[in-house]
Amino acid sequence: MYNCKDSINLLMDYLDGEMAPEEAQHLREHLRGCAPCVDFLRTYRATPGLCKKAMAQRMPQEVADKLTEYLRSKIKSAS
Amino acid sequence: MSDELVPQPEDQQLLARSQAGDMAAFEALVGAHRDRVFGLALRMTRSEADAAEITQDTFMSAYQHLNDFRGDAAFGSWVHRIAANHALMRLRHRKVVQAAEEELKGPEFTERGSLAEYPQQDWSRDAEEKALDAELGQAIQQATDRLPEGYREVFLLKDVEGLSYEQIAELTGDSVPAIKSRLHRARLALREAIDAFYNRDHRVE
Repeated sequence: MYNCKDSINLLMDYLDGEMAPEEAQHLREHLRGCAPCVDFLRTYRATPGLCKKAMAQRMPQEVADKLTEYLRSKIKSAS
Repeated sequence: MSDELVPQPEDQQLLARSQAGDMAAFEALVGAHRDRVFGLALRMTRSEADAAEITQDTFMSAYQHLNDFRGDAAFGSWVHRIAANHALMRLRHRKVVQAAEEELKGPEFTERGSLAEYPQQDWSRDAEEKALDAELGQAIQQATDRLPEGYREVFLLKDVEGLSYEQIAELTGDSVPAIKSRLHRARLALREAIDAFYNRDHRVE
């Protein structure tokens, strides 16, 4: 029988669907009887999405203009 | 990310014209993909100047190898991988003050291996909302900055940039199991930081 620590160690493989059927069965058994681990799983699964949102970046217009200028001059001098 | 794995019809047309020497078509391709490339470079290097240079180098490399690109994958994924490679090379040349691995926080367990602290608030639904609380955004950025470099890189490349384990292994030279193990620990540390943010909010109320 898995405890919380075993289960949490296996969460990534579980979410990736890369777990042996027997291990997945043990994990599901633990989750059925452990509400804190179910909450943990939910928040673990939500973490990448939240981080992705927090780290969104756009290129400032000034940098974009410089990029166009750079590529034009480089490509022109190469041709 | 799945939409970026298949070739996009518009990109395909622009690509064909670029390969035939149409500069305006190449500039349109750059315009469509520069935000993503710059974003990756800025997140990885945390320097706007470096990110601007990496973006220039990436599109210049793409231009030079346009005719090697067969178009069986998406142009966006291809330049994204070129950018990741340029960003990693730049980081390897930098002397980074490494955060110690022991500083990676994760959940705490009792002696019997049970979770020591039960999550007080289920914040998983917030991930589905469109807007992100600005303070939470800041807390996440700070937590990402605190990750040891190898963990931060893997987390950014997989969870933010959407590269596969195999693509990351190819870029970094690390094994897939090593990458997975670092990713899991990085996610645990970031989950912990987000959880701390929500619980701090909880106490203030």
